[in-house]
Amino acid sequence: MTVDRIRFDGQITRRNFLKWTAGAAAATYLLGEPRLLANPAPAAPAPRADCCVLLWMAGGMAAPETFDPKRYAPFAKGLPASEILSTFPAIDTVLPGVKISQGLENIAQVLDRGTLIRSHVLPDLGHILHSRHQYHWHTGYVPPQTVAAPHMGAWMARLLGPRNPAIPPFIVIGQRLEGIGEKEELKAFHTGGFLGAEYDPFLIPYPEQALEAVQPPRGMTPSRFESRYQYYRKLAELDPRYKDASDFHRTSILRAMENAHRLLSSPQRRAFDISEEPKSVYEKYNTGRFGLGCLLARRLVEAGARFIEVSTEYVPFEGWDTHENGHVRYAKMKELIDRPIAQFILDLEERGLLDRTLVIVASEFSRDMLIEGVPGSNARDQSRAPADKMEEMIHYGLHRHFTGSSSVLLFGGGIRRGVVFGESAPERPCLAIKDPIGVTDLHATIYTAMGISPQTAMEVERRPFYVTQDGKGRPEMRLFA
Amino acid sequence: MHVTMITSRCLVGAAVCRTLLLLGTLGFLLGGPPLAFAGPTTDANSESGATRVDFVHEIAPVIQKRCGECHVGQRAEAGLSFNTRQSLLKAEVIVIGHPEESELIRRISSDDPDERMPPKGPPLDPETIEKFKLWIAQGAPWEEGYTLNPQDNHAEPPLKLADVAVPPAGDGLTHPIDRLVREYFRAHNIAFPQVVDDQTFLRRVGFDLVGLPPTPGEVAEFRADPAPDKRDRWVRRLLDDRTAYADHWMSFWNDLLRNDYTGTGYIDGGRKQISAWLYTALYNNMPYDEFVRELVAPSSPESEGFMRGIKWRGNVNASQRVELQFAQTTSQVFLGINMKCASCHDSFIDRWKLTDAYGLAAIVAEEPLEIHRCDKPTGQIAQPHFLYPELGDIDANQPPKERLKEYARLLTVADNGRTSRTIVNRIWHRLMGRGLVHPVDMMSQPAWSPELLDYLARYLVDHKWDLKELIYHICTSRIYQAVCDESVTPGEEKYVFRGPLPRRITAEQFCDTVWRLTGSSPAKPAFNPPVPERKADFVRASLTVADAFQMALGRPQRDVVVSTRPEVITTLQALNLSIGPRLHQDLEAGARNLIQKFADKPADDLVRHIYLMTLTREPTAEEKQVLKSVLDIESLDVPTQSLEASHVEDLLWMIVMLPEFQTIR
Repeated sequence: MTVDRIRFDGQITRRNFLKWTAGAAAATYLLGEPRLLANPAPAAPAPRADCCVLLWMAGGMAAPETFDPKRYAPFAKGLPASEILSTFPAIDTVLPGVKISQGLENIAQVLDRGTLIRSHVLPDLGHILHSRHQYHWHTGYVPPQTVAAPHMGAWMARLLGPRNPAIPPFIVIGQRLEGIGEKEELKAFHTGGFLGAEYDPFLIPYPEQALEAVQPPRGMTPSRFESRYQYYRKLAELDPRYKDASDFHRTSILRAMENAHRLLSSPQRRAFDISEEPKSVYEKYNTGRFGLGCLLARRLVEAGARFIEVSTEYVPFEGWDTHENGHVRYAKMKELIDRPIAQFILDLEERGLLDRTLVIVASEFSRDMLIEGVPGSNARDQSRAPADKMEEMIHYGLHRHFTGSSSVLLFGGGIRRGVVFGESAPERPCLAIKDPIGVTDLHATIYTAMGISPQTAMEVERRPFYVTQDGKGRPEMRLFA
Repeated sequence: MHVTMITSRCLVGAAVCRTLLLLGTLGFLLGGPPLAFAGPTTDANSESGATRVDFVHEIAPVIQKRCGECHVGQRAEAGLSFNTRQSLLKAEVIVIGHPEESELIRRISSDDPDERMPPKGPPLDPETIEKFKLWIAQGAPWEEGYTLNPQDNHAEPPLKLADVAVPPAGDGLTHPIDRLVREYFRAHNIAFPQVVDDQTFLRRVGFDLVGLPPTPGEVAEFRADPAPDKRDRWVRRLLDDRTAYADHWMSFWNDLLRNDYTGTGYIDGGRKQISAWLYTALYNNMPYDEFVRELVAPSSPESEGFMRGIKWRGNVNASQRVELQFAQTTSQVFLGINMKCASCHDSFIDRWKLTDAYGLAAIVAEEPLEIHRCDKPTGQIAQPHFLYPELGDIDANQPPKERLKEYARLLTVADNGRTSRTIVNRIWHRLMGRGLVHPVDMMSQPAWSPELLDYLARYLVDHKWDLKELIYHICTSRIYQAVCDESVTPGEEKYVFRGPLPRRITAEQFCDTVWRLTGSSPAKPAFNPPVPERKADFVRASLTVADAFQMALGRPQRDVVVSTRPEVITTLQALNLSIGPRLHQDLEAGARNLIQKFADKPADDLVRHIYLMTLTREPTAEEKQVLKSVLDIESLDVPTQSLEASHVEDLLWMIVMLPEFQTIR
């Protein structure tokens, strides 16, 4: 039996069938492995979101310097490190009594659109390696695993399918996987894993070059590109072995090429072109690569992507990964994210999309001036700054990886508005002291918002593999409106 | 309508899943919200917020342990069998959705010792009883196809290889493999397929043995040979090309032994390459039994990377300690056993126990190894133990090095048919498109011809575990040289063997063929084989680092064992092939190189060369008409140097995108 026959049974004819994954999804499904096992209905309330955007603060964003400010101690030579919890003063937000860190003035004004979680706890995996924790955060499983665990976006692409057949369902913006440190580890979770390559991310490392990912190679005119494809089809039809017949491989290759060609000639690919934005809008977002990534993400949400991650990009010792000079760097990082994130939320709201889009701002762990991991951890101290007192400005900042509490922002998608959830201790160690929520339950909440039960499982190698770790995730229902 | 189907989908078979998928698809087409998998529900039980009961991990083990003696497998006391969901429902002891009306619940909660189940041992604890209630209330979900009956998981074939009597020759079939296949065909009423023509044979065997199709010169040479046994000699000639053979088979073994030139764990010494050892072993055609022994009990540090596994920084799950990795990788690669389940708890899908996984792990452990069940310590210390004690066992008093040697010996003793069957099946899969046992890592499953499998395994052992001899033997059979069976969709469950299956070329075969044609191979390999007399014309893809392009074509990230690559091309991959800069650059450079090479020769020579180097055939007259349009010329007699480079580049692209190019037939 050919793919066509099964797939296009009934009224669905090949002509009107248009689906991003059509090429191989059909085949994957025919292969029977991995197949969907348990797929219980998600918990109430009814899911509101059909699109998910993860704004990833790569490198371990210090909560006390961003969304969970603590006692501020300005830099002074000789200041004991133990007296410093935050290196920035706190500012007011639109929510009465809720303060966040200086430098996030724009986000402060949109906090009424979502929930700020201050009690996200991460495991201390011993040696605090960013990519390992990122793997855990993105897949729900601690590496290594015996099978390749899929990225959260791959699960959504697999379980929910594309939202618009002409737009890849799973897109990652702003993260390179080549030419940087820990790239193999990064590749290990930027993947469809055992779900198959069909669910791999569509990678756009540079948002301003996104269009190049969906247009003919540089130097190739549209007419040349089109005629190349048309002649290709002609040659494929002339294959002397296939005057009429078809077979699995031939069908699958031709269909995948057709899908690719359709996307490449579709007017919808203009969604990838951020230069089409009015200059004023472009400039609102343009704080750098991350800001433009948010702009691209907004266009892709509108166009119909299913899951988008925009990363500040993980490169060892860059971005949020401050092992020294943290204060200075954080001022810049906040400048990078503040305007675009706020604008992104406002734009979605203005377009009536915020309600059906779940936006998450998260990081693999937080930071602290003194504690590596959690109190009593045997993880090696990786800070380059002294742990006793401040001598130079580069010592001033949160340089140690702290896993005891971190901050997450959730917007839209049926999440409560204008709420702070959980709390971390006001004094060191700033552990979560109220409503701690780990990755497994946070993921359960995210999946539930998307209409996916946390107990959904696929069979791989005859074993069940669940979207949340071993199917144990329980959604935090208090986060929903 | 959808709600009903969702809540009932566990109850029924694949047919419903398929309907759901189609409905879901229809939903997208109609522009509605995603339906089947995302719809809201009226299921009261999930609204209560109770966690879904995990049948496989919470219910099945209790049944197995407390009810199994009388109600699982052959036993069905009082007509109740827990073997399958169906058999359970037949006994009418549960009312789906209504625990309070279910006899099962009444009996397990009863205080009356005559009524209470299980009759022996303490009653089930209240927490477990609650789980059962919840499970029934939630519709008694049962993983599709899951069975508690060990017999349903097929009796494993006896460890020892059978003495297979090869049927007599007939119908012109003299090769022992063909005689065995003929027997199978007879039983299945299938005619022996025709043998392919020379060009198809040369292309297939070239890709299979050395990873490249033949050059036009080789084709001409073969055609000119009048000898009747020229195909046999061609197979031998390819196998004798030690460089090309090793270059090609590196990819297969790198996948299987999760060896690569960069990757997770290499940064901080958590992992060691075996590339130099592996290449040399392939180049010298090391006998497979020795090969296994060197990987399991290395006589030099060169080959120890495989058994040492990957040590990740920081804390890892107990089931992923390097000792457990050793248990998993050695049993998977050499014996086709999945020990991953049993690394956490007794397996639910086959007969392997937690103590079996830890028994293997303890062989390599330098320190006493505490058994962990589902990541929790049990207080028990693992004892070194081999999976098939009938062959012998491991002496716990020996030091690790000696224990490893003993394990390696037990893996490769003549009476251990599992090791030889497993590798023979892997090779058959590579050459024929599907294993005699399939999937290839589930060697407890029956082969479609157990006789042929055991015959081949015996052949390998009798030929001193010489893999090239095995490959020669298979490739000189008529069934290897038969026309492909086009009727099969890869992975189809009901499989009848009718002949070799078409296969998608690998990333490396794609790159090598393109690079040889266009001269755009990288200047340097990532790994330089330590064989001075090696003769290579160009840098083969198997020796380069997996870039985004190769990975897009299915070359895996080698942090887990990979025994089978995907057969299908995805839309993302097709996008990469359509606009990816890497291929574009290679073809751009290739077009220039070819124009220079063919300079004043007619364009006809160029297109024939391209076809022969990729498709192993000449273009037809009809195709030449299209090619003229592609090249924008009136006649193919014009000199090549007058062609536009961009036209030649486009032509190259079209050819390498053809299903005909990307498939081995």
